[in-house]
Amino acid sequence: MSGNGQVYEVFARKKRADRFEHVGAVSAPNEQLARVYAWQTYDEAKWFEMTVAPRDAFAAVNRPQAPFTLGGPGGRAPGADSR
Amino acid sequence: MGRFTDEELQRKVQEGFIVESEEDMTETYKRALITQLTVQGDTELISAPAYFMAARDAPSTNTMVSATAIIQDELGHANIAYRLLEDLGVDRHWLLYEREPAHFKHPYGFDQPLMNWAELVSANALYDRAGITLLGDVHRNTSYGPLKRGLVKVSLEENFHLRHGEVWIRRFAEAGGAAKEAVQRTLDWMFPMGVEWFGMPDDRKHHNAQLDFRLKGMTNDQLRRTWLKAVVPLCEELGYDLPAQYDPGTDEVELTYELPCQYDPEARRWLFNETITWKQVFQRWKARGPMNEQYVDSLRRSRFAVERLLAA
Repeated sequence: MSGNGQVYEVFARKKRADRFEHVGAVSAPNEQLARVYAWQTYDEAKWFEMTVAPRDAFAAVNRPQAPFTLGGPGGRAPGADSR
Repeated sequence: MGRFTDEELQRKVQEGFIVESEEDMTETYKRALITQLTVQGDTELISAPAYFMAARDAPSTNTMVSATAIIQDELGHANIAYRLLEDLGVDRHWLLYEREPAHFKHPYGFDQPLMNWAELVSANALYDRAGITLLGDVHRNTSYGPLKRGLVKVSLEENFHLRHGEVWIRRFAEAGGAAKEAVQRTLDWMFPMGVEWFGMPDDRKHHNAQLDFRLKGMTNDQLRRTWLKAVVPLCEELGYDLPAQYDPGTDEVELTYELPCQYDPEARRWLFNETITWKQVFQRWKARGPMNEQYVDSLRRSRFAVERLLAA
């Protein structure tokens, strides 16, 4: 494990009638920690409901690639040039 | 990557095109975005140990809780920037734990010690105002979709930090006496730090990829001016002295000292009479300030201390 595990997308809504909104993503070694990181990181609202899903669980419908897949699941190889 | 040339992409983003994936980018776009996100993430991250150093002087449990909430927000914002960098192929572990402290890209102002409550709330009023000025502009103008969305939470919370700072420097001003003097002494060294926060003046900056690719909307000087027009009238109203003057007639702020000038970090004093070149300022920034290593180290130490405890 790279220490970051995999990427989980975070969805939330403020109240019952609302649509779910994509509020961000977290990297976590497992689902339990992904839930904790999501709740701690995206605490800008008093969410009625929040849920996480692994990035690689999304299936594209009308485009060649699923969303959020920039650079492949979990980003690319470590140490890539960042300068 | 490679769907567009630099010129094509520049034209498209100026017309409102939003970049959503790597295939929309050019190599130049990606490099400029990585630099911008690294500065953003590092600034949020290093603000945490800086604010924590001062928060230990919080005057009560309640005020300590507010300060800690701010620190937690800042760590969340750093996490958002680094998460976006991961999607661009940058390794987060390397960003956090393997870089030389001197290679972090936060402003020089966050290499300085924050000693007490007056300094913490002054930093909230000045530095978080700088953060809102910079990130508010990015939020409104960026051509990178994931960053535009990521900044919704950041903008909300930075406003809370700013209010925290402004309410408190007002309380210190109204208290007068030694309280007001404590903020005044802080502003004496912190205000010019804020002026430098926005980087080189426009006529010194040769490359402007961030503007060409619409990663931001305003130039350094325009951003600095926006910040000055928020900070200076407020401080004047509260009775603090700054080396700057607000003219309500023209709605402009003018500095009453010559930019750029030298800073003595040991004495925590600006040498306003010692005019230097921007090249020398750039060298001072690159050499980093007195707390650089300690702040970076404190973030690493706490992480590895927990790992050692669990492994024992």
